[in-house]
Amino acid sequence: MIRQWLLWAVPKTLTLVRRYRPFSSSSSGGGVVMKRVTRANFESALEGLRAQVQEADFVAIDLEMTGVTSAPWRECFEFDRADVRYLKVKDSAEKFAVVQIGVCPFRWDPSRGSFLAYPHNFFIFPRKELPFDGPSHEFLCQTTSMNFLAKYQFDFNTCIHEGISYLSRVQEAEALNKLSSAYENELTNSINTSGENLEIPIVSTADLLFTERIKNKFHEWRNRITESSCAECYVKEKTEHVMTQFQTIFFKMRPAVTLNGFNSHQMKLIQLVLRKHFKDLVFIHAQGEEVMLERKVVYTDSEEDKALLMREVLEDLHRSKEARVRSAVGFRHVIDFLVSEQKLIVGHNCLLDIAHVYSKFFGPLPSSMMEFALSIHENFPNIVDTKHLLNSSHVLQYLMKKNSKSLSSAFSLLCPEASSDSPKSAHSYVKFEVQTDETGLSNWTSGAKHEAGYDAFMTGCVFAQACAHLGIKFDLDSPLTNLATNDKLQGYINHLYPSWNSGTVIDLSTGFEKAESNYKRKYPTVLFSKVVLIWGFPSKFKPKDLKDCISKVFGAGSVTSIFFLDYTASLVQFSKEEYVNDFLMLKDILERNDNDPISVLHPLAELLDGGNTHAADYDTYRQICSAPASKVLFADQAEAAGIRWKTLAGCQNSEAWEATSMNGSSTFTGVRSHELPNTHQVSCEDILDSLYAAR
Amino acid sequence: MASNGGKRRWSGAVKQVTKSNFSAALEQIKKHINDSDFIAISTQKTGDFSGSSSTSSHRHPWRRVLPIDTQETAYLKAKHAAERFELLQFAICPFRLNGSKVLAHPYNFHLFPRDELNLGMPSYSFSCQSSFLTSMAREGFDFNACIYDGITYLSRAQESMARDRNPVARLRPLTSPSPQSVADSVFMGRIKSRVENWWKACKDPGKATDDSLVLSLRKLILGSELYGSRPCLSIDVCSDHQVQLVLVIVGQICDDLVPIVVPDNRGEVKAVRVILTSSKEDKNLLLSAIQSQEEEADLKVRGFREVLDVISRSHKPIVAYNCLHDFTFIHSKFIAPLPPSMAEFMCSLRLAFSEVLDINHLLKEIGPLRKANNVPAALSYLKRQFFTPVELEIPPQVDSNTDKHHGHNVLRITYLFAKLNCLLKIIPGHQPALGQYTREVGDCANIFYPCSTTLQESDDEDGFQTDKFKKVGTNNVVLLWGFNAGIFASGLKRQLHGSHTVFFDDFEVQLVDRTCAIVVFHVPGSAENLLEDMRSGSIGSGSLNDLISDGLKAAGYETYKKVCRMGLWETDLAEALEMVLQEHANDLSMTFRKDASEIYWNSDLMIDLSDI
Repeated sequence: MIRQWLLWAVPKTLTLVRRYRPFSSSSSGGGVVMKRVTRANFESALEGLRAQVQEADFVAIDLEMTGVTSAPWRECFEFDRADVRYLKVKDSAEKFAVVQIGVCPFRWDPSRGSFLAYPHNFFIFPRKELPFDGPSHEFLCQTTSMNFLAKYQFDFNTCIHEGISYLSRVQEAEALNKLSSAYENELTNSINTSGENLEIPIVSTADLLFTERIKNKFHEWRNRITESSCAECYVKEKTEHVMTQFQTIFFKMRPAVTLNGFNSHQMKLIQLVLRKHFKDLVFIHAQGEEVMLERKVVYTDSEEDKALLMREVLEDLHRSKEARVRSAVGFRHVIDFLVSEQKLIVGHNCLLDIAHVYSKFFGPLPSSMMEFALSIHENFPNIVDTKHLLNSSHVLQYLMKKNSKSLSSAFSLLCPEASSDSPKSAHSYVKFEVQTDETGLSNWTSGAKHEAGYDAFMTGCVFAQACAHLGIKFDLDSPLTNLATNDKLQGYINHLYPSWNSGTVIDLSTGFEKAESNYKRKYPTVLFSKVVLIWGFPSKFKPKDLKDCISKVFGAGSVTSIFFLDYTASLVQFSKEEYVNDFLMLKDILERNDNDPISVLHPLAELLDGGNTHAADYDTYRQICSAPASKVLFADQAEAAGIRWKTLAGCQNSEAWEATSMNGSSTFTGVRSHELPNTHQVSCEDILDSLYAAR
Repeated sequence: MASNGGKRRWSGAVKQVTKSNFSAALEQIKKHINDSDFIAISTQKTGDFSGSSSTSSHRHPWRRVLPIDTQETAYLKAKHAAERFELLQFAICPFRLNGSKVLAHPYNFHLFPRDELNLGMPSYSFSCQSSFLTSMAREGFDFNACIYDGITYLSRAQESMARDRNPVARLRPLTSPSPQSVADSVFMGRIKSRVENWWKACKDPGKATDDSLVLSLRKLILGSELYGSRPCLSIDVCSDHQVQLVLVIVGQICDDLVPIVVPDNRGEVKAVRVILTSSKEDKNLLLSAIQSQEEEADLKVRGFREVLDVISRSHKPIVAYNCLHDFTFIHSKFIAPLPPSMAEFMCSLRLAFSEVLDINHLLKEIGPLRKANNVPAALSYLKRQFFTPVELEIPPQVDSNTDKHHGHNVLRITYLFAKLNCLLKIIPGHQPALGQYTREVGDCANIFYPCSTTLQESDDEDGFQTDKFKKVGTNNVVLLWGFNAGIFASGLKRQLHGSHTVFFDDFEVQLVDRTCAIVVFHVPGSAENLLEDMRSGSIGSGSLNDLISDGLKAAGYETYKKVCRMGLWETDLAEALEMVLQEHANDLSMTFRKDASEIYWNSDLMIDLSDI
């Protein structure tokens, strides 16, 4: 079989509407043609995507964000307690913006014996489409992430100029709610305006002259209308009175004039004049179809007619505003569709992606992981994380050997199909074809690594290939049965990693987190009841100094481990639970007796030097993590979180313990892990390493 | 009109500077700065809480500078913005005034806080307001150019931190000798003989014909290396003290030796590298080479800040439009983190920039309490009121690209200042005063006039607000919260009217955000009475009592100040006020204080939250 590789396939004859493109994973990683969707072609792309999703066996997704962690100390650490870990994910999803979403439906075509993929690359930008609080008027960018995007040639201009906006379900509901209450308010206001202040504050002679002139003009105009029949008047006016500012038009079947060429102060005066002298003339301040404001004065023949007119005008206004809200929903239509179709969703290490989807398109993230998981499960009943799949299936473990589980390496290892330089193996590779179904080629681009559309495509390919390895048959001429209910996948569906180094898996269907069997922990288990948080100590303090200082008071073996969050804060694990309280009490006492010679000479005095050293239990760490601010240094964050005391007193302590001790001590054991920690991680863990070495 | 014709007339006039042409342009910029009378600046940010920002509603609208703000709270709000947002463009325009002629040299720098040194600096992350980015996009801003090719920078404070954490080998002066111990003299003796051995071996021409084996053996034994084309020797040291000892020894042996100190990647000294030069001239050559290398490395670290340092050193007066906001940004990005109070900020800023002229303030000098919303509005106002012919002359750029017209605002500011100066006749420091009608820069410098905002944009064509500003003492102001959400100011005023003795007389009510309203009394003492009565519970029965039992609360201006000082920006104002009150439940001075400052109240600055 001859495989023809079309990279920038621009066929001279565009008569062929559907083109199937067999693809190969060339080493460059690019070459897959995908649909680039911006504001301009969103409507049409959405139509196409609907049909493709409906027929799809599964849909792969991937997101690109403006950042991951809002401060260095917010990075995920292996020993984070589950609730703290969720707070970190929540913070990330709330603060950063999504700039690109890849959606790639896959359909098994039994007649061709291959999967048909439809990669879409959506540019997203939280543009303010409505005059009030939009999707996210403010978002954070992590400098390194922006650089990362730039390195992979991310097109920021397209994103900001042309990105598709969105409203979450909650935002849409709020907007509509606000509209209807404003509508009712205006309705009542329009009906009883009689009690309003009718005095015209005349500030200057110019104002006085203006109000008089306007009064006369309106008198004239009204008299003309009431004297003759309207039609006549219209004709008459055209011929006789050519008053630039008083052209009679018809508005809602009533004679009216449009007010042009007045400034806002004059408009105010006109309103006052009308209210005071003309009971039958109504000032209408209506939003036209465009953003242009139109102001009109309309003649009504009775009070009832006036009320009717006001109602009509307001209804129009309300309807047009509602329509604007509906259209501002934007990209959420895609998500809503994925939810309503209940398709199997595939992502790679996708918990953060899912959290972003939740916070951007559903509503504010729930306060606990359990609630989050169950709510996600309600919307997406079947999610597969390919990262978890690769790590937990023995067959795939064997195939992957020691290779990195990153998406691109899994992709090139599992799906080397048709790349000529790869050795033919006994495995039969699943075939994929990328389908393009449009003649206009301007919207098609060649995908590249770390582009959401291409990453989604790779994820889907890895998933399909992994399914084949697990023994799911993709047969020629036999349609695929529902993958989500396939026995061979049951152990993997809805199991996601809460973070890359947690060593646990969360089951979305139950909301429970359990230890992953084959995760190798780098450090011994942390018992959170033995942990004390110290921050604001002198910046020259190194982990070893801290350990020495505390050991002098509590004995040589009292400190089990020390972890520096950054150079202003540290978590210290004691060997005994009671040391936590003892330490906090001692610190409190030393600080109370500030000038006491015993306090000055106490071994802890060195740590308290500078007077900014704070200490508390692990729950305070959680509390500080949950604060909305994100200061770069932990000590600043603690202050921003509203912590004004220096030491958490003992009694508060024990109460706080009971409240959250349920997550307190879970033990994990494991076999191995392969992850590339990022640079900061290395530095933090290096500190730990050096400390362990020092012991 | 200049502002209309600006784009066309000034197209391509502003030189665009990015990472690629920065060091090449620097010399020319320095020259223009040093030749100028004034320097106009203007910036493009990713967001702001300033008054001149768009009127779009925010999640917490009270964070913007409002008419209820004093200088101090306006500073705290500006500080919050400066710490949060990033600068993407910085335009400078050094110019000379010669009668009605202005000779200007505008530059526009594209910035991006790229972490060149991998230290999490200049900023780990920054915020963007999507409305800002959208309006920049509308003006044709090239985000790719900015992020791909923007110039990075470090503040002065960050630079010294970077020095500590990312050290480079450099020359070090000899400090006064510290007392030497026995161990020191042993160490010195050993180093001395080692250096002398190596020096002699290098000097000895007889061995030049050695075969390669001998050469490499000698290299192994002596530890000799090459520094460029010159031979050098590394001596391991383990403390600063030892560094000094080595420097003393090397100085004693021979004049041809140049020692440089090599740090390890944690900033501790690791070794001293001794380089052998062949002659006095060669030594000077080496020294200047090292010097320029250091300078190059420093420039790479400082990045764009170099330009601000040049401006700072030139002591030229700086002209800007919204100074409080521009200079809080400049201080936090290029000098050091912002201090907690306005006074400290002004002190710190003056050390770097001695004279800053705020156009907002200058406008006030012309028409008391007149204030333009933006530069074009101010220009058109001047044009209507005064005859001030100004001719702006911009020498054409050699490599001008006419399609880009970023940074034009700086030209508008230059133009506006020149016009203003026809009236004010401000003389830059170095020129002699020409007569009694002129004034010195110092007379009007360093007075910042905070730009406050209205949520309802007046649609007057000229954008000028009428003279309705009243000075209101902060002790006549009360903040109210705990009323029905969604109520309008007029509704609240109706509810309050007549409910208490103070609510009979003239008072104004306006919403600060959805949760909190401000009441301004025009009868002195009313605010105090109200707060005192509400605290003591002597309200009696009536509608105010009903409101209070429904949760209405009140606090004086001090509480608001405290909210700003504590930086409780992430909540609704009511919640923030509540937090402060809880913390100071027993502190009566919190709710009221005698030493009140003044705010410029304008009853037209209506915050209309219903306007959707």
